[in-house]
Formats: sequence, structure tokens, C-alpha cells
Amino acid sequence: MVDMLKVEGLTAGYGPLRVLHDISFKVAEGERIGLVGLNGHGKTTLFRAISSQVGWQSGSVQLMGLEVGGSRSTGPGRRTPAIVRAGLAMAPQGDAIFPGLTVAQHLDCGAYTPIAWRERKRRREMVFDIFPPLRKLEQALVGRLSGGERRMVSVGRALMVEAKLYLIDEPSLGLAPKISTSVIEALFSLPQDGRAMIIAEQNVALLSGRVDRMVGMHAGRLRGDVGHVSLH
Amino acid sequence: MDLSILLVYGLSLAAIYGLMAIGISLLWSSIGMINMAHGASFAVSGYAAWAVSTAAKPLILAAFGKTLSGTIVMAGLCLSTGALSGAIMGGLIYLLAFLPIHDKPNFAVRSLIVTLAINMASVQALLWAFGPKQKSLPKIFGMGKIEFLGLSVRYDQLGTIIGTTVILGLLLFWLKVSRKGLEIRAMMQSPEGAVLSAISVRWTALPVTMLTGALAGLAAVLLSQTIFVSPTSGAVPLIKGLTIALLGGLGSVPGAVAGAVIIGFLEAIIGAVPFLGQRYVLFGTFLFIITILIIRPRGIGGLLDKARK
Amino acid sequence: MTEKTFFQIGQRPQEVTLPVSGSEPLDRRRLPFTRRHLLKWRSRLNPKTLRQERILADKKPLWWAIALVFLALSAPFLSNSALTVVSIFCIFSAINVLWTLIIGTAGIFSLATLAVVGIGAYCSAALNVYLGLPWPLMFLAGGLSGLVAGGLLALPSTRLDGLYYALLTMGVAEICRVFVQLLKPLTPCNGSINNVIGFIPRDWVLQRPGLLLGFAGAFVLLLLSLLVFRIVNSERLGMLLQTAREDEDFAQAAGIDYRKARMQVFLISSAGLGVIGAFYAQYYGSISPAIFSLDQLMLLFAMIVIGGLGRAEGAVIGTAIVVLIDKGLLDLGPLRILLVAAIMLLVTLWTNNGIAGAREQFRSWRRRKQSEARARRTEKGGDVMPEEAIEIHDKQAIYYRRFDKRLRDHLKTLITPEMIAEHHRSPLGQHSDGLSRVLNYFRRGDVTDKYAIIRQSGGQFHAYKIVAFSGVRGAPPRLVDDRIHEGINEAYHAVFLLRVNDLMES
Repeated sequence: MVDMLKVEGLTAGYGPLRVLHDISFKVAEGERIGLVGLNGHGKTTLFRAISSQVGWQSGSVQLMGLEVGGSRSTGPGRRTPAIVRAGLAMAPQGDAIFPGLTVAQHLDCGAYTPIAWRERKRRREMVFDIFPPLRKLEQALVGRLSGGERRMVSVGRALMVEAKLYLIDEPSLGLAPKISTSVIEALFSLPQDGRAMIIAEQNVALLSGRVDRMVGMHAGRLRGDVGHVSLH
Repeated sequence: MDLSILLVYGLSLAAIYGLMAIGISLLWSSIGMINMAHGASFAVSGYAAWAVSTAAKPLILAAFGKTLSGTIVMAGLCLSTGALSGAIMGGLIYLLAFLPIHDKPNFAVRSLIVTLAINMASVQALLWAFGPKQKSLPKIFGMGKIEFLGLSVRYDQLGTIIGTTVILGLLLFWLKVSRKGLEIRAMMQSPEGAVLSAISVRWTALPVTMLTGALAGLAAVLLSQTIFVSPTSGAVPLIKGLTIALLGGLGSVPGAVAGAVIIGFLEAIIGAVPFLGQRYVLFGTFLFIITILIIRPRGIGGLLDKARK
Repeated sequence: MTEKTFFQIGQRPQEVTLPVSGSEPLDRRRLPFTRRHLLKWRSRLNPKTLRQERILADKKPLWWAIALVFLALSAPFLSNSALTVVSIFCIFSAINVLWTLIIGTAGIFSLATLAVVGIGAYCSAALNVYLGLPWPLMFLAGGLSGLVAGGLLALPSTRLDGLYYALLTMGVAEICRVFVQLLKPLTPCNGSINNVIGFIPRDWVLQRPGLLLGFAGAFVLLLLSLLVFRIVNSERLGMLLQTAREDEDFAQAAGIDYRKARMQVFLISSAGLGVIGAFYAQYYGSISPAIFSLDQLMLLFAMIVIGGLGRAEGAVIGTAIVVLIDKGLLDLGPLRILLVAAIMLLVTLWTNNGIAGAREQFRSWRRRKQSEARARRTEKGGDVMPEEAIEIHDKQAIYYRRFDKRLRDHLKTLITPEMIAEHHRSPLGQHSDGLSRVLNYFRRGDVTDKYAIIRQSGGQFHAYKIVAFSGVRGAPPRLVDDRIHEGINEAYHAVFLLRVNDLMES
């Protein structure tokens, strides 16, 4: 069975600054991985390197066997739509939202395959089931929502299409503990078959006991990739 | 000075200026590029329509004779050629001015310069290929007037007004409702979010440039009664379109519409006032625009919605 | 927010150094009545040859001087038509240099340059033809009218954004053209004023002496406009505006009134453009509305774009290229403008700042690629990142670090379980080659945090603990852990294991 994500020797950075040093790891199908580490140590850069948005990277990144790594001097994000279509879904840190669109339109943007577009109403309902507070905000402008609601919209957009690999960056950032717990629980309530998820989080307690594997990131290197650990 | 004639004339002018100004405003608000080659699209479409109409004239005459259906077919042919060639020019502008530099620094100024270069180049190319003499297109709306609500309207004026309103209405409706329109609006608001929603900036910019090019092409055919086809025919519509787009607030489509209507009527009025006459039209409108912009630097559209920076 | 800029590190380009003769290393001569030196000499001691040497820090005046002298000396040898082309080049360069002052230094994206030139030309020509103003005063009239026009144009520039203002000024020239054609006295001549009596005597017009005089006047005009550019750009006004260009908010917070400085630069340039307009009228002996045409403006804009926005040498280089194509390849017809447009397109697409900035662009690209490659190669603790390298005074330390890193990498490969067992068998004594190297490396280590064995006192024999030196005089070593080792060999081996662990982790 081919790995969902296989990263080998990934080195990435911006300009003369090297952020990731020789990262290698694998994510198998059905796995949920928690990527923990302090701020500024490369978790977001790792996600951006996988989705081809960093300044430069070298090394191999394979998504379901498809090689997507090694972005060179093409502009940032030029290859990202193709990678997203290959089965990646990313909810970036700080919500890349469209402030002038309504919640419904925002979620529709996430339905990029023809099938998903045709059944977008049903999928929207599915997202509303996962995040109940959004149901009454369906026609509200996303720019006017609170932080937690925006996070739900941003994550919900990533859920509109059945992607193979989900990269969720800091889902609890800037949220009150109750709301961040509900977001995390919603994420973990998704079915695991045929998918894999990597959640980058500073707050280890939120992930403990729920993820299959915990991987630490320190100064651009992976540390302590252990087996099944539950940290308390 | 018949008010009704003034009204109709003003409306028809407003319609044509609206076509140009909305094209420019739309392009700026969606991809952040000022298209100085809009005038070139105008001129090139005019020539394409002329070429096709000259070639097709004997065929249509043979098929339909000098009947109404013949005029309609000719009109349809001219309009569609104009729109198509405008779209092709839009695609060319996309290839040269957008694609290479859209994610490089200083994109707005550089695209302005590149489109200026395209403008210069196409004017000179047309001059070299066709010579400086003007050409004229067949009368697509026929001659004659109709009486409508007590106003006497020329066919072509009526056609222009109705046609423009319909086209623009369809376009704006499409932008609001369709999936591509949604993608375009998403791209405007957050490039990172768009890219993560598998919206490719390049593939959303292409329809926008082709559409605005088609608008310029249509304007060329509709205006062919007043502005004859020549290599420099695009200059005045470009200036008018740009200044009206500025007046309406760059990036605001409702503002552009409002600006077009105001300037259309202003031109009609100034042209009709006895001691001013046609020669002071440009002067007067320009003065008006400058004054408005000094009072409201963001144009009228600043009142209506948020313009792009 | 301004973009994050990293340090520009890389190879310095080669410098030409001149020897010093006499006791004074530098030439201290100044320009009369100023405190400005003629050339920017710097002297330094060469640490290798132990001799004083001097370098010309700013070579640009040299290039300018060479180019201008070449231009002036070659003029008498050119044919009549070539002489006209060169004169036009001088006039357009003068216009473009002042335009660069507006766009680059003041940062006002104005396209109304030719309008101001035309206004100056028309006013001075009208005064000359209808009121008999003598030609020296025409320059004054042109300058004043340029100043007034500039003042009127400056008013909207404070309110309107860059691009808005640019598009608006495009319309100004058109307005002027229409206006001039409407004036009653000028309608017989189609809006132009003829028979302007300038500095070229009547019988010399269109003859060789007249052309030479015309060229001389144009050359002096170019020199004057370059002087104005230099005085404004490198002195107080230019410095104030440089801060504003880099960070407007900071400039405002620091109390720099950059808006007033911008206005002043705009007014000075407009006055200069008016003077050029007056010269233009005198050179051609007439002035027509063609000066306001959009095509002419686009051509001049192409010149400064191709050369590079914001630099005087860019203006001149761009003008040279375009004038050469425009006037030199006349037989190509409209295609030559196509060529100019194509060059403009390519320059805008490929370069950041036109042809004059191409060298700098290439250098910064190369620097960026080199630093990316260096960052890719760097491992932690090996190469020193450029940002740190600046701080380190003794560069030998950088090479030592590199050597140390390579040595450690090699030693890591040598460490095997067999070697550890060998050390366990006999910590002191004859060792294999690999173990010897490893032990040598450990023994050479820095005293700070070096492991040592301390024998426990108080009646215990064969009890050792491991400590680490602090490296600071007077500070006692710290205990590494509480384990007591029986026997000195155990203690040696424990220290060895600790050091091996540290090596593997580094």
C-alpha cells in the first residue's frame, strides 16, 4: 500500500534563511499525526513546503506516489492548485478567508471538483453538521465573523472535497479553549478511511490521546518520531 | 435645444463609455492591472469587423438582398467579429502583460508600461498594415428613427443603449452568480485562500481579460457610426474610458456606470450649449473630472463600495 | 510593512587601486566656492603589501565625463543629418533627466512633462513673436510659465494616488493641444507659432554653422539639466525624499516634511522644463501642437522606461537607444516604433529597473542564488551563516569551525560498538588508529564543559564521580550525575561514553 505522504530529505527556506533541515517522514493511509513544536520552528514552513508555497525547497515530497516537491523559482503558489487537485487539503495558519463572500459562497469555493460542485448543497449541510454554529450564519459575510467562526469556515472549506491528505495548521490558535476543543473534536470525528491528517499544534494537550502518532519539530528538524505515544 | 434629443444622445454616449470604463474597472479590481491597451483592442476589433464585413458583403447581398434580414445578419456578423477579436486581443494582453509578471514586484506599474507598449506596437502595426486612412463599417442598425414615449430616437442610438445595457447586465449577473465569477471574486480577496481552494490565478485571469477585450470590441462596432475605424481610433475611447473609470473609482463597477452616465449627459449638454459647442466638450468634462477627483480622490465609487487599493 | 531584507553578502567586485605618490595620500582639492571635492577618493592601507593605496570610490563622474566629452568632441565630425539627430538626443535627454527627477526623486508619477515643455515653448514663442521679446529673456519667460504650469499641476498630486495622477496627467496634454488649436490668432497656422527668432542668426539657420550652434546650445542644455539633477538629487531635497521613498511613515515621524520637498522638486523641474521648451522653440524656429501629441509623450516615456526609472544615466541611455532607432532607422517606417515598443516590453518584463539597473539586478540575482546554495549546504554547526560572519572579527574562526565540523563527521563514522568495547577493555594504553583519533579529539576539547573525574574524599577508595569544568576561573566544576564509579577504568570509560554521546549528538 502506497504511503499517503512520503517526504525525503526536504530542505526548505526563504532566501538565505534555511528553515527546514533534511526532513524525512512518512504518513500512511488512515493515520492521524500530531505535529508539535514551538512557534517559529518550522511547522508552517513544512506545510507550505508540501503545498509548494515556500521560497525554495529541495528534496522529494510524494503525495500518493505523485512527486510534488522541489519547487524552484516559479512564483509562490503557482503549482499549489495542481497539488490541491491531486488530493491535498490545507487549512493554513490564520485562515486565508475571503472577507467579502458569504459563508455559503466561501464553502462553495472549496468544492473544486465537478462532483463536489454538483452536490455542494449536500456537502454544505455536512459541514454544518460538523460545525453547528455555522448553520445560522450561512448568509453572513465571513469578514464580519468572530475568530472561532472564521476558523470553522476555513476548516470547513477544506472539508468540502474528499481530499486524501489534510494539513491543518494550528486549529486552536487564538481561540477560546471551549471553541478550540469543539474544532478539534470536529476534526477527529471525520472518518479515517482512505485519508490521512497532519495537525500542527502548539497545544499538546488537545491532541493527546486522539492522534495515532506525535511528532515533534524543533529548529527545523523532526525530533522524537516515536511510535504510538500518548503524552499527558 | 430639444431636451429629448439631448437625453437620448447623452444616454447613447453613456452606454458606450460605460462599456469601456467597466472593462477597465473590472480588470483593475479583479487582477490589479491597468489596461492601457484597451484602445488597441478597440482599434484592432474595428479593423477585424471591417475586414470581415467587406469580405462577407457580396455573400450577404447575394443571399438576402437589401432587406432587413440582410442588415440583421450583417449586424450580427460585425458584432460577433468585434467581440471575438477583442477577446483574442485580451488573450494576447494576458499572455504578455499578466502571465510573466503577475507575481513579481511592482506589478501594477509594470503592467501599465507593458500595456502601453502593446498599445504603441499595435497602433504602429495597424498603421503599417492598413495605412492611415479611415475605414467605415456598414450601418448595422440601419437608418431611420422611431417614436418612443414622445422621444425621437435613431435606430442606432436605440440599439446601442439597449444592447449595452443587456450586455453589461448579463456580464454583471454572470459575475455574481456563476462559478467562474465566484472564483474571480475569491481571487481578488485572498490569493492564498484561492490557491488553496484549487483556484488557479492564471486560469481565472484569462476569462476576465478576454471578456473585457470583448467589451472593447463590441464598443468598437457600436461606435463605428461615430468613430470611424483607423489606427488611432482607440486613443479617444481609451482616454474617455480611463477617466470615467477614475471618476467612478477604479475598481468600482457601479461607480463606473454612474460616471459613464454623468459624463455622457455632461458631454451632450456642453455640446448643445450655444456659446461652448463641440470644441469645449473635452475641456469641460476633464475639468469636471479633476474637480470631482480633488474633492473625492477615490472617485464616486468610494461612496458605493470598497475599491481595491 | 516593508519587506524583510536580508544582508547582501557575496563577493565584492574587483577594485582598481592606484598607488600613492608623495606624502599626502588623497587629493584634497575642492571645487571653488564650495566644500565639495572633485572626485571621491578613499585611501587605505593594504594589509598584505603594507602600502598605502587609493581607490576612486564613486566612478560615475568618470563615466559621465568620458561620455560627454566624447559627445562634444565627435560632433564637428558628424554629417548634417547626424548632427540634427544628436541635437535632438540632447534636447530629449534634458527633458528626460528632469522627468526622472519628478518620477524618481519626487516619486510623483506625472505624464504631463511634454505639456509643461509645450506651455513654456508656446508662452516664450508668443512673447517673442508678438511682443518682440529678445531671445535671452525667452528662457526666463519659459521658465516662469513652466513654474506656473507646474504649480497648477502640483495641486492635484497631493490628493490623488500615484496611478490616478498618472492617468489624469495624460489628459492634460490633450487638453493643451485642443486649447492651442482653438486660439484665434493661431488658427491660420493650424495652432503653431512660426518665425521665432532665437539664438541662431537668421542666415545660419539650416546651414552647417547654424546646426553646430544649435548642437552647442543643446549640449549646454543637457549639461545644465544634469547639473540641476545632481544638485537636487544629491543634496538636501534628494536626501529628504530618499527617506520618504524607503519608508514614508518613518520620514513623517522623524519630522521630515517630504510633501513640501516633493512640491519643491516638482516646481524646480517644471521651471527647468519650461526653459527647455523655450530652447525647443528657438532651435526649431517654431512650435506646433505636435509637441502635445500622445505619440510623442509615449516615445519619451519609452525612453525613460527602457533606460530605467529613477536614474539620470537611465534617462540618457534610454534616450540614446530610442532616438537612434527612431531617427536612424527612418526607412523602416512605422515598424521602428514597433521595435521601440518591443524593446520597452522586453525591458519591463525582464528587468527591475531598465537597462541602467541591469548590472545591479544581475549581481543581486547571483548573490541570491549563492546564498540559497550556501543555505542548502549548511548544516548546523558547520558553515557560518553570513549574518553571523559579519560579526566575527577573526575570520580564521570560521574556517576552524568548518574544519572542526568535517573532523567530527569523520569521527562519527569511526565510532562502532567494537571501538567502545575496545576502550572498555583498556581505557589507557595502546589503541587502534580510530580510537586514537577519537581520543585525541576529545582530549583537545575546550575546557568549558570538559568532563573530568573526581575522586571522592572521606575515606572511600575506588569511588569516582564525573564532573564538568565550568571554564570560568574561580567557578567550581559541576556534578554531571550522582553515579559513583568503582575503579578508575570504569570512570574513564564512563567519561568516554559521555563524550561519544555528545559527539554523536552534535
